[in-house]
Amino acid sequence: MAAEAGTFLLASPLAGGGVRNRNGPPAAGLGPRSPAADVGRPGAGRRGCGSPRVRVAMAVDITLLFRASVKTVKTRNKALGVAVGGGVDGSRDELFRRSPRPKGDFSSRAREVISHIGKLRDFLLEHRKDYINAYSHIMSEYGKMTDTERDQIDQDAQTFMRTCSEAIQQLRAQAHKEIHSQQVKEHRSAVLDFIEDYLKRVCKLYSEQRAIRVKRVVDKKRLSKLEPEPNTKTKESMFSEKVSQNPSKDSEEKPITEEYPEKIPAEAQPELGSWGDGRGEDELSPEEIQMFEQENQRLIGEMNSLFDEVRQIEGKVVEISRLQEIFTEKVLQQEAEIDSIHQLVVGATENIKEGNEDIREEEGPTKAKVPRPQGPAFFRLWNPRWPADVLRRAGRSHFGVSLAQ
Amino acid sequence: MVGVKMAAAAAASIRERQTVALKRMLNFNVPHVKNSTGEPVWKVLIYDRFGQDIISPLLSVKELRDMGITLHLLLHSDRDPIPDVPAVYFVMPSEENIDRMCQDLRNQLYESYYLNFISAISRSKLEDIANAALAASAVAQVAKVFDQYLNFITLEDDMFVLCNQNKELVSYRAINRPDITDTEMETVMDTIVDSLFCFFVTLGAVPIIRCSRGTAAEMVAVKLDKKLRENLRDARNSLFTGDTLGAGQFSFQRPLLVLVDRNIDLATPLHHTWTYQALVHDVLDFHLNRVNLEESSGVENSPAGARPKRKNKKSYDLTPVDKFWQKHKGSPFPEVAESVQQELESYRAQEDEVKRLKSIMGLEGEDEGAISMLSDNTAKLTSAVSSLPELLEKKRLIDLHTNVATAVLEHIKARKLDVYFEYEEKIMSKTTLDKSLLDIISDPDAGTPEDKMRLFLIYYISAQQAPSEADLEQYKKALTDAGCNLNPLQYIKQWKAFAKMASAPASYGNTTTKSMGLLSRVMNTGSQFVMEGVKNLVLKQQNLPVTRILDNLMEMKSNPETDDYRYFDPKMLRGNDSSVPRNKNPFQEAIVFVVGGGNYIEYQNLVDYIKGKQGKHILYGCSELFNATQFIKQVKCVFHLLLLTYPKLL
Repeated sequence: MAAEAGTFLLASPLAGGGVRNRNGPPAAGLGPRSPAADVGRPGAGRRGCGSPRVRVAMAVDITLLFRASVKTVKTRNKALGVAVGGGVDGSRDELFRRSPRPKGDFSSRAREVISHIGKLRDFLLEHRKDYINAYSHIMSEYGKMTDTERDQIDQDAQTFMRTCSEAIQQLRAQAHKEIHSQQVKEHRSAVLDFIEDYLKRVCKLYSEQRAIRVKRVVDKKRLSKLEPEPNTKTKESMFSEKVSQNPSKDSEEKPITEEYPEKIPAEAQPELGSWGDGRGEDELSPEEIQMFEQENQRLIGEMNSLFDEVRQIEGKVVEISRLQEIFTEKVLQQEAEIDSIHQLVVGATENIKEGNEDIREEEGPTKAKVPRPQGPAFFRLWNPRWPADVLRRAGRSHFGVSLAQ
Repeated sequence: MVGVKMAAAAAASIRERQTVALKRMLNFNVPHVKNSTGEPVWKVLIYDRFGQDIISPLLSVKELRDMGITLHLLLHSDRDPIPDVPAVYFVMPSEENIDRMCQDLRNQLYESYYLNFISAISRSKLEDIANAALAASAVAQVAKVFDQYLNFITLEDDMFVLCNQNKELVSYRAINRPDITDTEMETVMDTIVDSLFCFFVTLGAVPIIRCSRGTAAEMVAVKLDKKLRENLRDARNSLFTGDTLGAGQFSFQRPLLVLVDRNIDLATPLHHTWTYQALVHDVLDFHLNRVNLEESSGVENSPAGARPKRKNKKSYDLTPVDKFWQKHKGSPFPEVAESVQQELESYRAQEDEVKRLKSIMGLEGEDEGAISMLSDNTAKLTSAVSSLPELLEKKRLIDLHTNVATAVLEHIKARKLDVYFEYEEKIMSKTTLDKSLLDIISDPDAGTPEDKMRLFLIYYISAQQAPSEADLEQYKKALTDAGCNLNPLQYIKQWKAFAKMASAPASYGNTTTKSMGLLSRVMNTGSQFVMEGVKNLVLKQQNLPVTRILDNLMEMKSNPETDDYRYFDPKMLRGNDSSVPRNKNPFQEAIVFVVGGGNYIEYQNLVDYIKGKQGKHILYGCSELFNATQFIKQVKCVFHLLLLTYPKLL
């Protein structure tokens, strides 16, 4: 599978044409129940098993010997005239035919979900390079994906993940609804755990590439910020460019971009106003130049400190989100645990109630007949379901005597 | 490419090799590749008790899960049909197992079947399965059939035992029974040889075999040589061609197999020991790397100790992942106790750090300012949260070792094992005793009757001259008074007489003194904490007989003790019966295999010995792993049988 992943990465620049219609694959894959989508990947879940065999020194494959034994036995049976059910005729077919039994509903649906997750994975891997490359719209030769397209991918992937996890939930609910043996139940919940884990791994793939994208955009911004010219005009043009980008950004980077449009107009307006005044061709007096320069310095300083602050906040936000993720997971785990504790408590309460009732039932008649000094402790020795006469006999012969003494 | 792979494989330990083999089997016999975004595959694992014993020391349940195993079930248990899952079988090709598998096929329990046999299946049994598959028209569902050649249990990187399930079959008792018939002996030998053969297939090397003459070890050597030879001659189906030839080209060296008979050294298995792993095995229930403890909750210093004492069973796995165990299993016990204490302190420091963070965060105190503090400490919090699982795991290990060490310590204190250890060391090194043996034996506070018997037996074995009849009678009386069964002593007496008559004994008494010359340095400064009242004994490395034999053979040293050892080279075309080794170079790799049972004392001694040798490796194996109690039990039993056969012995 590692090789498979690798080829997707390599293949994506070549398959440039296909990548452009970025909405195609996820749209097709969005309905986890579309049967047509499955045709492309038959038996995707088992591909791992069929890869070329490596000759190993330790284990010896005697499958062929087994097949040969089957044939030997068959001929022998034929010679002896023993009728063996099923496989006597059509030996060749029989050897290679798959099991005629229909696959269970559960496993086929599980595989369906897996193949959908697999599609998401393939899709993500296919577009990984374009998605990550934040410069693509500047350098025209890589111009394959715009930010709107990336946002589309984000959105689709998220919807898709949600659908998949819903499908798993559904499957889980269903798997336990039908009455099965303990082993089957255990098996199914393990299978579902596997699928969930798989989905998690694929989601991680997505969040990783999304993190890279965000980081690249931030880096790019920093680079443009570092440009040496303190010219407000170029700065402004840069900001405007960023502002145009702004709607495509997601929440995590918004703090940065929103900071600027507010501050810039407020602080830069008077300056611009002076430029725009009628005496444009006049030389500025040295004092004025000095003043402007000072103001520029001040502005730059302010911007820098703001920027640093924003970056710090950004880092914190990332950390907090990571923590939140961990906490969510823990809380969910605890929820399950609390549920099971609750169940146990309810069960225990029921048991105690029943026990008390049983004791009360027994207490009545026995006490009336043979009064005992240590009633309740005594009754705890007995199984209340014993027939009454056994109880009475036992009580008189063993316990009764000893307790009476 | 192949070269690199093989070089890496040559360096791998037997433990890794068997684990890799198991993982490949669980992965439908396709090499297992770890992949972060691979699609999940699931299957059920069906094993018998043999398979369970092989897998359980190597793979945890979690690792099985990671391999896609949803359920792992015993073959002979009630199993519900799960029609949509492939099943991996890992079983011995025994009659009843085959029957049960055929039944599974008939009942259509699973979707497909991957049959793996622990050791090679015979043609006729394979046909039985074929027959059942035909009858159930399930031939196509039998996806793969494999001989795994994994019939041995690896306990450590460099230690293995043959089997656990039918260990009575290859026990010391079984081999030394006086009433054993030739066919029975054949079966015993075949079982041992089959496992050893599997071991070498998994190791991927053909050894050069050395063994002493006239012992059970020699029988094993002859049979193993024959089996390896037959397999090598059949070039087409040989298990040692291809990959392994490549390995030979790179290492140029074949391993040396030293087959040793238990009867050459009966003192070591009786010895009281002082290293952690060996002590755990000696005094606790330690079995296939799992120790079972019966602990009363009152022992701990926790508030729970206030509750009435209640026995509860606990079992702990002592695995190679456990760093502490890995580091200290060969350390003398006082050192272990000290390290546990240190670990505990460092853990407490870490825990305090986390707690401090919690109070800084204002989570315990007032709410005000918590938010602003929060932003300053997010980084710290993140690191704390991410280090928590690690910390918890550390706590678990510390708790484990605290419990185990406490249990061991209780035994040491109750039975005065430190005194026994010190005395036995002195006896073996012929140092004068400051208290007579009789005093200890008749001291009611010191140890169990069995401890007393062990002490006396060691004295008796290592004495150059047997004590006079009068002395012996006195000892016997003291032992009987202490509640000992004298059977083991009688057996050892017979054994000693026999050893004198046999071919190699001339040097025995002599070498015993040397070998047992474990000098003990007694540091009477008791450690401050848990070890109060227990002597802080430190071991001085001296080689045990087994180690000495290995040293002679591996380094090609001439020694009267080992010069007449037989030499087998299964790769030589014609078997030669000489004891003259063709190869005069020292060996780099050796396997010591004790026929008739081994113990952790010898293992530890070998490990310590090889530590000083650069680039050399030793593997220790035994037909059965027993502690002194189990050994004495077997000795009693053998003597009992001996009496039945030769009543006039007494």
